[in-house]
Amino acid sequence: MSLESLFILNTAGYVAPAFARYLSSVPSLADAEPVWSGPQDTICIHIQRKELVYLGIVSEEVPPIEILEFLDGVVQALSEYIGQLSELTIKENFVTVYQLLSEMVDSGSVVTTDTTVLRGLVPVPSLVNRVIENVSGIGLGSEKRPNVNTSATPWRRQGIRHTTNEFFVDIVERIDTIVDSSGSIISYDVSGDISCKSRLSGMPDLTMVLNRPDIMDDVAFHPCVRRRKWDEERTIGFVPPDGQFKLASFHAAMDTSSKVLPLHVRALSTRKDNIYTVEVMLEPGQCNGRTIEKVSVKVPLPQQAYNIGVQCKAGTHAVTNARSPQVEWSLKTVKSADRGLRLVIQYLLRGASAGSSGKGSTAPSAEQGALAAFIDFEVAGFSASSIKVDALRLLRESYKLFKGVRYVTTAGSYQVRF
Amino acid sequence: MMNAAIQSHLAQLQIVKAKVLAALRKGENYELKTELNSEYKERRKEAVRRVIANMTVGKDVSGLFTDVLKNMHTDDLEIKKLIYLYLINYAKTQPDLVILAINTFVKDAEDSNPLIRALAIRTMGCLHVQEVLDYLSDPLRKCLRDSSPYVRKTAVMCVAKVYDLNREVAEENGFVDAVREALGDANTMVVSNAVSALAEMNSMGGRVWQLEPQTVGRLLTAVNECVEWGQIAILEALIEYEPRDEKEAENICERLLPRLQHANGSVVLCTVRLLLRYGRYVKRADLLAQFSKKMVPPLITLLSSEPEIQFVALRNINIILQQRPRLLSKEIRVFFCKYNDPIYVKFEKVDVLVRICSERNADPLLAELKEYAKEVDVDFVECAVRAIGRLAMRFEAAAERAIAVLEELIQMKVDYSLQISVVVLCDILRRYPGKHESAVTTLCDHADHINAPSARAAYLWALGEYSEHVRNVAGLLGAGVDSLLEEEDAVVQLALVNACVKYFLKQPQAAQALVLRALQTASEKCADPDVRDRAYVYWRLLSADPNAARAVVLTEKPPVRPESNSLPEGLLEELIGELGCVSSVIQQPAKQFVYAYGEHAGVPRGGADAAISAADSEAQATSSGNIETAAIEGEPELLISF
Repeated sequence: MSLESLFILNTAGYVAPAFARYLSSVPSLADAEPVWSGPQDTICIHIQRKELVYLGIVSEEVPPIEILEFLDGVVQALSEYIGQLSELTIKENFVTVYQLLSEMVDSGSVVTTDTTVLRGLVPVPSLVNRVIENVSGIGLGSEKRPNVNTSATPWRRQGIRHTTNEFFVDIVERIDTIVDSSGSIISYDVSGDISCKSRLSGMPDLTMVLNRPDIMDDVAFHPCVRRRKWDEERTIGFVPPDGQFKLASFHAAMDTSSKVLPLHVRALSTRKDNIYTVEVMLEPGQCNGRTIEKVSVKVPLPQQAYNIGVQCKAGTHAVTNARSPQVEWSLKTVKSADRGLRLVIQYLLRGASAGSSGKGSTAPSAEQGALAAFIDFEVAGFSASSIKVDALRLLRESYKLFKGVRYVTTAGSYQVRF
Repeated sequence: MMNAAIQSHLAQLQIVKAKVLAALRKGENYELKTELNSEYKERRKEAVRRVIANMTVGKDVSGLFTDVLKNMHTDDLEIKKLIYLYLINYAKTQPDLVILAINTFVKDAEDSNPLIRALAIRTMGCLHVQEVLDYLSDPLRKCLRDSSPYVRKTAVMCVAKVYDLNREVAEENGFVDAVREALGDANTMVVSNAVSALAEMNSMGGRVWQLEPQTVGRLLTAVNECVEWGQIAILEALIEYEPRDEKEAENICERLLPRLQHANGSVVLCTVRLLLRYGRYVKRADLLAQFSKKMVPPLITLLSSEPEIQFVALRNINIILQQRPRLLSKEIRVFFCKYNDPIYVKFEKVDVLVRICSERNADPLLAELKEYAKEVDVDFVECAVRAIGRLAMRFEAAAERAIAVLEELIQMKVDYSLQISVVVLCDILRRYPGKHESAVTTLCDHADHINAPSARAAYLWALGEYSEHVRNVAGLLGAGVDSLLEEEDAVVQLALVNACVKYFLKQPQAAQALVLRALQTASEKCADPDVRDRAYVYWRLLSADPNAARAVVLTEKPPVRPESNSLPEGLLEELIGELGCVSSVIQQPAKQFVYAYGEHAGVPRGGADAAISAADSEAQATSSGNIETAAIEGEPELLISF
């Protein structure tokens, strides 16, 4: 593949006139197809993350998904080094950005997007280093000169030492679901990541045993995992990279009976004369009695909505108005005993014809626009797919290993239709 | 006078401003120059940083060339990298000055740190200057045999750059041969880079490399240990390979299977492409079934990634499904649209949904499509309603339910979904002649709301066709005739005339006055020549021989065919071969086959629906009363004999 150039743009796209022109041909940036033909027989491929657009230009037959994956890799690497990505932080850290990009691509072909490899090549800028450098005038960078690791395990260098040997596992699962107004599940999907944080000395060789490996019907592993061992024994054997890394991401095959919803949401939308009412009711579902945290319910309202009134007994609410009004209801926690959590939104609609309601004035009509609510939450200590780590064994090193496993289930794209 | 004076002052001010700015800019460069020559290391470092910062925003810092070069002798890797960047940027415009830096490069290429050796060799290649070539050859030869794989893999890529600059130099010095040898390197990173370097040289027009069977085996072993981008390079090289026999193809496929489970969607898609390609050589049904089964979960997983990747995946899935329509039929629910999906993803999803739907799961899909039809985006609503129509056309068993859904949408009286629902409903009626006539009653109940030309034409067609099932057809048509001249669109006028004539032929007594009025108005007062002609033809036909008229107007219609799901076999093969590439995703006439594909597909909304196949767009074109025309034209002799 040959990437000709890479642009990091703000959403107005001032630097690249072709991009600005393309934007003006579509209703909004979010709705713009990511692959489009640019001027002079080029193909432009872009992704949008937060307020920035990453635009790659190619001019031959290459798979666009490669460019998209690479751009995504760039975003991840940059955010690992810089933190929050914005116009300002990119400008402030241009040296790091430059160094990273020059390691990631070599004349158009991608070398790596793996941040564990990059950390070995480009030192992570730390605030402390900067301060010391500036105050004392002594460059620290030259002393800690990065070295290339050419061992059989390119993700882990020799001679790592830690005073305490710890290994933490986070199993974070996402529930993607669509629930219709009667509460029945229309689509349901659980996917998850096994993220690890390794602070182990030497060259440890770990084996992770899961309770139900067969439920994972599509697993992608970090390159450190021994594929064959998984295929034969269904255990994950690996020499971990140092620091934070994603060991595996998986998709869980769930049969009908095991589809659990930690949070039940029912929504009702009615209309009386000109007043539209949306009622949202929350109830804790199956999550082993755990407390549901960081709950937020977003209800987008039609563009023509005005005079929006919101009532709720628990939690806080806010009305934002970016492209169209949206009500957000946030609750810090929903406990298993909580009942009767209710949000009522009332609004009027500009230009709604009273006549069109006709005989069935309470029948839902597309004119009301508010058609779905988006739910966000987090349940700690609960795994939707019921995957658990049964054992974590250490070979090759003799020290005692301190290990910790956390389970979190979050809402991915969790939406309820009215 | 005043004005002129002010203007001249303003002009002067402009000049002063320009001068001040120029001085400031010069001042900054001057300041940087001093800093670059500072005795303190940290200040020099900061100065280099600022130079690069100025360079990125497009300021001219080429004047500082020699001062920047002075800092090149340093242990600080960051500074080194930045200076190298500076050199790459200005090498093209000032090749003579670059020669000044050559010494450092050559020295760096022998540094004890492999990172620095690699950096030097990479940068020398990137300079892309003829003058550097002479100095590059020696270090490059050494680096190709370096003990560190990191250096070797960088050197291999550098050969492609040299080849681009000067083929003779690359070949005479044995660099190209060295890259071919690198295919057997112990380190997989070197192997994968050698593959991409050779592929790149091939794409420059030189035939430097062709895959040999024994190399394929080696690459398939290497691919298991590569990092993701190396895997992609190797997988892409394998696309070019023709297996010698069935056994080899089977073997390759089996060894590729583990690659399907990768977090990088690009690896997954490339593997799918290879499996489909080599699968053509495989005859064993059990193996093929196994391959298909393994392909499904990774394709599904792609749909939970970022919307941009989903989009590309969906476009490709759409093509795969045309070859293997049953591949994903159990997974219909993962393609259901989320309310907040970007519109381009929604379009693709609906298209895939219709494609994978079978008679068995048509019902839940219709319910789902009804939800979409209630959304606010007008284009998406149209897409959903049309999808309902396509389903009904394909499965007769689903037609009744589809019609019920459409009736429900019409009863909701939301303007845009009502109009399009009417059109689609009439298309379904046309597909199954003589059935579902009760739906016409719903149309008549909402006649006042039907106002888009295409919808009105469809509605009038239904009135004429099913006049015996409508209670007050004379009144409804009469009202239409009264407002005939107010209709803006000739399509509606034609449909109205047709409907009146049909009604007349079925119930001559009741409709005589009506048809006369309709034909008179249309032939005498209508502005559109087509409408006038049609009215004349009908008039003569009716007055000459009502039986002949009946034979023509009420003739058996050519049946509307359901959407046929296939592109021509050869074309599809080619598309599968190019799976995942730009042309198959943006469906642009980059190559002949893409052009043919685009033509076939009738591309509404910038290609978003491009996969609606030919027959379907035909069905849409024949809606709104054109079938009658077809029937009339089908029997030209009859007309001429009058």
